[in-house]
Amino acid sequence: MAPKKIEPKKPEPKKPEPKKEEAPAPAPVPETPKEPELDLKSILLEFTADQIEEFKDAFTLFDETPTGEMKISYAQCGDVLRALGHNPTNADVLTVLGKPKAEDMNTKYLDFETFLPMLQHISRAKNQGTFEDFVEGLRVFDKEGNGTVMGAELRHVLATLGEKMTEDEVDRLMAGQEDANGCINYTSFIKHILSG
Amino acid sequence: MSSFSCLSAAARTMKAAVLIQRWYRQYAARMEMRRRYTWNIFQSMEYADLQDQIKLYNFLGYLMDNFTPSSSERNLISHIFRENEVCRDAEWERYFSYTNIDVPDIYSGPRLTFPLDMDQAADLVEAFKNKQQLHSRYVLQLLLETWKLLRVLPNINRVSTCHSKEITICGDLHGQLEDLLLIFYKNGMPSLEKPYVFNGDYVDRGKDSMEILLILFAFLLVFPGDVYLNRGNHEDHIINLRYGFTKEVLNKYKLHGKRILKLLQKIFSWLPLVTVIDQRVLIVHGGISDTTDLALIARVDRHRYVSSLRPPKKKTPSRTNVYADSERYVEMIICKNRGGSLTFPKPFDARESFQRRSLQDFSSTVARTLEEEFEVRRRQAEFSLSSFSKSHRILSSALSSDSEPESSEFTDTGNDEWKQILDLLWSDPMSHKGCIPNEVRGGGCYWGPDVTEDFLNRHSLQLIIRSHECKQDGYEFCHNRKVLTIFSASNYYEVGSNRGAFIRLGPDLVPYFVQYQATRMTRGLSFPQNVKRTEHTALKVLREQLFVHKSDLLSAFQEIDKENTGLICLNDWASAIERVLHLDLPWRVLHPQLVSSTTDGKLDYHGWFRDLALKKPSSEHIEQTMLETLYRHRSTLETIFRIVDTDNSGLITFEDFRQTLKLLSAYLKMEISDEVINELVISTDTNNDGSIDIDEFMEAFRLVDKSRLERGKSLLKLMQDNQSLPQETETPRTVYSTAPQTSQCPASQPADPPASNTADSACSQTANPPVSQTADSPGSQTEDLCHISVVVPPQ
Repeated sequence: MAPKKIEPKKPEPKKPEPKKEEAPAPAPVPETPKEPELDLKSILLEFTADQIEEFKDAFTLFDETPTGEMKISYAQCGDVLRALGHNPTNADVLTVLGKPKAEDMNTKYLDFETFLPMLQHISRAKNQGTFEDFVEGLRVFDKEGNGTVMGAELRHVLATLGEKMTEDEVDRLMAGQEDANGCINYTSFIKHILSG
Repeated sequence: MSSFSCLSAAARTMKAAVLIQRWYRQYAARMEMRRRYTWNIFQSMEYADLQDQIKLYNFLGYLMDNFTPSSSERNLISHIFRENEVCRDAEWERYFSYTNIDVPDIYSGPRLTFPLDMDQAADLVEAFKNKQQLHSRYVLQLLLETWKLLRVLPNINRVSTCHSKEITICGDLHGQLEDLLLIFYKNGMPSLEKPYVFNGDYVDRGKDSMEILLILFAFLLVFPGDVYLNRGNHEDHIINLRYGFTKEVLNKYKLHGKRILKLLQKIFSWLPLVTVIDQRVLIVHGGISDTTDLALIARVDRHRYVSSLRPPKKKTPSRTNVYADSERYVEMIICKNRGGSLTFPKPFDARESFQRRSLQDFSSTVARTLEEEFEVRRRQAEFSLSSFSKSHRILSSALSSDSEPESSEFTDTGNDEWKQILDLLWSDPMSHKGCIPNEVRGGGCYWGPDVTEDFLNRHSLQLIIRSHECKQDGYEFCHNRKVLTIFSASNYYEVGSNRGAFIRLGPDLVPYFVQYQATRMTRGLSFPQNVKRTEHTALKVLREQLFVHKSDLLSAFQEIDKENTGLICLNDWASAIERVLHLDLPWRVLHPQLVSSTTDGKLDYHGWFRDLALKKPSSEHIEQTMLETLYRHRSTLETIFRIVDTDNSGLITFEDFRQTLKLLSAYLKMEISDEVINELVISTDTNNDGSIDIDEFMEAFRLVDKSRLERGKSLLKLMQDNQSLPQETETPRTVYSTAPQTSQCPASQPADPPASNTADSACSQTANPPVSQTADSPGSQTEDLCHISVVVPPQ
């Protein structure tokens, strides 16, 4: 039996947020001089109060701190951005986080106030990728032009190219999609991804 | 379209890959969010459910306070507060005698001979796997032997790892036989080389509680030095009235069920309280408090604590002594949890006013004989509704100094012991420091990491293993890895809601986990499909909750919508709901699932309620608020009915039914007129003989526990949906027999274990081909079926 605990969790987020500890403005990385500095502090928030409440609900869902401090780890930031309907690449997420080191991802945390400008920035990104792009993307692998792609090939590509997926992730993605010949009908595949 | 065409083949592939990957990651994140809020919903529902329990206590307390001498009510009330018969053990043995029970020749189940041996225990498991039922004669016999054995066991089981390689520790099973069978399949059955500790909560909620008990007791009898059972908070006959075990037993054993229940009542009270491994690891069902003292625990007479709802009887109750001491008991009741009643502020006043009343006042309001008075107070004493550390501190200061020293000491110790036991069986860990009463459950404490630290140091222990709370992955550490929760009932809230797990502990005392999920029905479902189904059930239950609070919600909305436009913005909608329901759920995230449409960000709430309406053809003539009230209090109502149903026949008289409803309505300060009651009765009294079938009544108004019903329905639907897969068309027993092989990780292809082969021979349709088919497509099975063996590195 697992009850809801009456711990003094709720009052905490309503207290004024402490000063941001993280200074999100990174120094530009020399290897990619084209990338502009991302100064989160300068981002103007255009969300309505209602929207902010909704984002806060979602943010809280991902808060795993034992005392409910309304913080998520860097590693979770991407998940929350995506859960709220956006489509950043992992690189995009790392950019808004200020290009943290790998070991920071699970050890550093951000609070809701810090998260909001990140969300705003991501929501403004132009090349989110449309549904048509997604279909096009799959069609690339449709060698015979018959509406199906080879599961094995897709797996290989997803695990080795681009922002590589782990074997587990690939399995989850493809779960139940391959037919007896190992082919995937990508229209239903797309429905599967989008309806989820 | 053109974004791809101008690229080289390699670039196109790359771009496509990145695109698919980002879409996948968004999809996964959305799944994760849904999984999380679904989990929250179930936990909230459970929390609300626990509040029902507190409502029950409050109601019973109210009944005590407002005892009126009318004869019909007196009978009813005395039914409710019926005292357990006090007999000696020899009398009990006669009462439980089984020798006159004949076993017909057509009975094809196991015929046990005592003393039991290993083969018989294994046969019993096999029989239950094949859906057989053990004959009541053997049930009584087995239970009697178990009772005899338990009586010689100490309160604290002491286990050592030196004689064996590993000890297996299981958490809550809650009547879910598939999980126990899965554990035995994966880990082997208990034996000299394979000791087991079972950490309580074997019964309630699931439908095979009896079978689980019989299996565990059988192994206990065969391997008394290698099977250890701890008592859980559900090993309690009053809790069983509420959570389904009593009903299960009476349904399965119509003739002898009552005696079986009585015997189980005794057995439960004789279950050991904790287990200690190598003097280093404590295993207890609930947890500890800041006052937990193992030395004291070792000394208590544990069998005197029959139910957490009844404080201990006195050892030698002489009339006058008890009378005098019941004053003390009454004072004990005084300190009811102050914050407990969330939704009934008014009745709570009744409790408070009782506290202020002196005993003189009380006795003068009702003219009774001494005997009646004595009886009433003993009843009151037994209904000390909860026990919190606070209340006990207050209690010890409230005890007057001119009491008889003997009895007051006894009360002190009795009380103290009782609290110790409640703490062991009911407490939950919390992340904050300190130790506070567990107001959600109504018993035990919330204890913090500092209490753990202190406790471990004082007792030279290094780890507390406990259960009591459902965990998504079957296990969870807290308090700096000094407290470990282990939960063995998979799919507890709903099919796909969580994994179960068990622990293997070797001489190094490093826990090694094995997780599983009983997947008989869900094979072939992918992870997202699982999430969707679970979410679907959670939302259905939630919508129901919203509907039955319609009147309160409507008032809340109308308070905001002062101009009566019928519209409300989403933010206000969400805050209003939270204010009324107190479920602490992310309503704004959930709103797309609960609200079909909005115009300009505003919701037409009248229309919304219409959409939510539950259709109840048999109850259309019953007024909405009445319906809501009955629905909201359905578990209280059902429990009271079952208490009133003293012969456990499943029927209560019309008179008792009416009295119960009247009392409930008075308590809720709600008018339930006689006509309404009559209407309720007539629509359910199908045999027209002046008795109400409790199950029929609850069902007629769809007052059954919806979530359980939904779970049953979704299982059924899954079965139907999976008709196309060859193995699914078999009857459940045969499906099960193929299930074991699917419990392997895809990496290691399983050989068919001998066990399932013998089952196969009984049901020959389950040829091996279906088995190998599923082995071929591990991808779709992985999520559901994979055993993940996790070795936890030392701290």
